[in-house]
Amino acid sequence: MSNALLRIEGVSKKYGPNTVLKDVSFEIGQGEVVGLLGDNGAGKSTLVKIMSGVVDSTAGDFFWDGQKIDKMNREVTERLGVETIFQDSALVPQMTITRNIFMGREVTNRLGFMKMKEMDAVAAEVLDSVVTIEGIKSPKQLVSSLSGGQAQAVAIARAVHFKRSLLILDEPTSALAVRATEALLGYLTQLKGEGVSSVLVTHNLHHAYQVCDRHIVMNHGKKIMDSRREDTSVEELTAAVVEGAVGLQRFREGKF
Amino acid sequence: MSDKTPGNSSPRKQTPILEVPLPTEAVTVRRKTGGEPDTYLGRLAYNLQFIRGRGALEISIVLVVLLAGYVIASLISPTGFAFLNPNNLSGVISQSVPVLAILGLAAGILMIAGEFDLSLGANITLSAIIFIQTSEAAGLWLGIAAGVGTGVVVALINGLIVVYTKIPSFIATLGMSFFWMGAGIFINGTSPAALTTSREGTMEFLFAHNFGSFRSQLVWLLIIGVVAWFFVHRHRLGNHIFAVGGNPAAAEAISINTKKVKLMSFAIFGGLVGFASILIAVRTSSIQPGGTATEDFTLFAIAAAVVGGTSLTGGRGSVIGIIVGAALIELIRNGLLLAKAPGFYITLFVGVTIVIAAIFNKLMEGKAR
Repeated sequence: MSNALLRIEGVSKKYGPNTVLKDVSFEIGQGEVVGLLGDNGAGKSTLVKIMSGVVDSTAGDFFWDGQKIDKMNREVTERLGVETIFQDSALVPQMTITRNIFMGREVTNRLGFMKMKEMDAVAAEVLDSVVTIEGIKSPKQLVSSLSGGQAQAVAIARAVHFKRSLLILDEPTSALAVRATEALLGYLTQLKGEGVSSVLVTHNLHHAYQVCDRHIVMNHGKKIMDSRREDTSVEELTAAVVEGAVGLQRFREGKF
Repeated sequence: MSDKTPGNSSPRKQTPILEVPLPTEAVTVRRKTGGEPDTYLGRLAYNLQFIRGRGALEISIVLVVLLAGYVIASLISPTGFAFLNPNNLSGVISQSVPVLAILGLAAGILMIAGEFDLSLGANITLSAIIFIQTSEAAGLWLGIAAGVGTGVVVALINGLIVVYTKIPSFIATLGMSFFWMGAGIFINGTSPAALTTSREGTMEFLFAHNFGSFRSQLVWLLIIGVVAWFFVHRHRLGNHIFAVGGNPAAAEAISINTKKVKLMSFAIFGGLVGFASILIAVRTSSIQPGGTATEDFTLFAIAAAVVGGTSLTGGRGSVIGIIVGAALIELIRNGLLLAKAPGFYITLFVGVTIVIAAIFNKLMEGKAR
């Protein structure tokens, strides 16, 4: 297990007197899809922010590919290839798909001027091949003209194109229609083939159970469950998410 | 957990709620994004549909129609509506349009980044005073550097306040506007700063020379417009300005330094305002510290940007649109003057134009594709 992509050990986070995360440890394997589940206030979002380097942890160690990382900040996570896709804020709606895909990583000449033709061509290629997105006519379309599902897909396509190694999706399905959700979950399965690890943060167990190789359930800032898909069931996950450690205990006792 | 082996016939395994793993055939059908048409006209029409609804095209049509109307009116009645008279074209149009257009670009670029600077008018007065004093004392070139430099410094100080205190720029720069207006009086005293001998020669040729049917200012607008277009629409940093104004969280998530980009936008704003203040100073030869003559430019510049399709909330706008917007406002003003409308009509019509443009903008934002 030393070849885990990201391993976190004993991570805690306090906001003033409030302890939001208590001694959380887990790892994310290469090409693994991990579901991070839990009710509201379980500490999922804080954990996401810590993993993406936006927020500092109070305590805890991070290991990337077995190497210890001194501090998870934006520069480090950018270098390692961690990309977080927040629910609504991944793209700039007023900009074209091309400009969004290349935002911050523009293809330019030596003076910094963008090579638009090249970028448009690559963007069209990305839209056609990385993930399959129905209904997009051209990379010159504004993102505001896309549906929620299409926009999510563009954000994922961007992360894949730039060979990000760990994708963190924060509640990606909460604003999506059924079909779009199915497509999105499909992309995650495709991503595994590309060797991309992803963390799916959600409180929709059914979505998570469909695609995740492993499920981590959080409750009141603690990790209460960490099971591979074949070792658990939707019912067990439901018990853990809804009723916490007690519910999980009861569920397991009821069974065995 | 090892006691729960796969294939265990416990009740929870009997009725799988969902198929696992998810079948992906449904989404692996590859669909090509539509290719561009082959013919030149086809490509033009194809590309036009993506430009539509972004402001510049629509406002340009309005300008062309208005311009055509003016030309026809002027041809029918050369004395009654003297639009095509060289005195009008060179003396009014090619002096007023470039100044407002450059100020509109300044305000517009800052608006794309999601900020305002309401101290624009005060910045003009201060920069112009410094330009005049330095030119008189140390010559033209140092004067230009000092004038533009003042604009940049003033805007950067405003920018630092806005970016680091997170006060809405509307309030911060409104307050600073009074400070900079006072600073002009502090430096110059209450008597006007005036260009005397230094205006002759190179300075006049560079910034106010009459070439018959146009003036130097128009050449400057052309140069600044082209540079601004390449910077805003084709440069990496221009792209970052749109990103930061459109969705700061997304820009931040992709490791764009939003503070740096905003400060850069303030600096560009200041540079353009400083340059425009030189044009204004050379045209009028004197500047009244604490005067209200330059104050009007603050809102007119924002108006030019809005008429040209710049979003009030950031992330949307175009260089061509802003220049056309400035031209439209000045043309309406000029037309009302030529038609001998009473003075108050002018502000009335400009006001109506701005509100209509803003409503139009709002509708366009919904339609943009």
